[in-house]
Amino acid sequence: EEEEEEEGFRLLGILDVQNTPCSRDAILHGAGGSVTAGLLHFLATSRVRRSFDVGFAGFMLTTLGSWLYCRMNNAKLRVQQRMIQDGIKNQIVYEGTSRDPANKPEAGTPSGPS
Amino acid sequence: MAHPLQLGFQDAASPVMEELLHFHDHALMVVFLISTLVLYIILAMISTKLTNKFILDSQEIEIIWTVLPAVILILIALPSLRILYLMDEINDPHLTIKAVGHQWYWSYEYTDYEDLGFDSYMIPTQDLAPGQFRLLEADHRMVVPVESPLRVLVTAEDVLHSWAVPALGVKMDAVPGRLNQTAFITSRPGIFYGQCSEICGANHSFMPIVVEAVPLEHFETWSSLMLEDA
Repeated sequence: EEEEEEEGFRLLGILDVQNTPCSRDAILHGAGGSVTAGLLHFLATSRVRRSFDVGFAGFMLTTLGSWLYCRMNNAKLRVQQRMIQDGIKNQIVYEGTSRDPANKPEAGTPSGPS
Repeated sequence: MAHPLQLGFQDAASPVMEELLHFHDHALMVVFLISTLVLYIILAMISTKLTNKFILDSQEIEIIWTVLPAVILILIALPSLRILYLMDEINDPHLTIKAVGHQWYWSYEYTDYEDLGFDSYMIPTQDLAPGQFRLLEADHRMVVPVESPLRVLVTAEDVLHSWAVPALGVKMDAVPGRLNQTAFITSRPGIFYGQCSEICGANHSFMPIVVEAVPLEHFETWSSLMLEDA
């Protein structure tokens, strides 16, 4: 069976939006921010050209902000995932041995024959 | 492994390569935003009706296009330096393997416990079995235990070579008379291909590196069999 390779759509020929985590959301948020900022500025000032500039600035800031926020959360998730994986591996390796973290000595247990 | 017309990296098979992939995505997003900005400015310059032949300076724009590149560089440098130091962390390897480059094959030595050594030659195209990869397969693979920190000492017997496995995020020059050290952990079992990455003569393109990551018990079985055959 031949696997079908999905060719991701690349924005400006460089950014693979489909296969890069967070990129699609960042671009969509940026587009929304751009339209919002540009429209609000135009409604306030009726200046077309300057509104386009404001809209573009909104795109840049919203995209960057969304991207950084999403990547930060992703990085935290990956750290947690790695810690969980290591914990599961250590649990399996040390289960039943003296290093098993589940084997904790109980307080008040007599140490010798009574 | 690599596939035809591939543009991006191979899937990561080590934690370091995963970090490198994420950093690359981050840097590419910054590059995309800068490209978009430049494209927009070009379009704005072309379409403006304003002309002024007597502008001498402007403090505001000078400040902007000095501070902004500095901020962008910091945005790129911080994760980059983080990965740089991450790659140099001492990881207490479970196994040390020596990879020695020759013209035109690699040899591997596992000398921690027993004296195991073997050569790894490329399988010629006419000898490939169906399903094997042209110019990438080797007769003896470097077998390693999965999820174990490993140290590879790379050197060469004759001329410069370079031991590289893209999926693991590893590349280290093999210099005659010098031992270079690199380390990695394979996150998942599999077969990972690389090719010699320093021009070394006529058959430089025909001395591939094949790393096979297997569970520890399979690695022990393999090393016992290799010792018996030796």
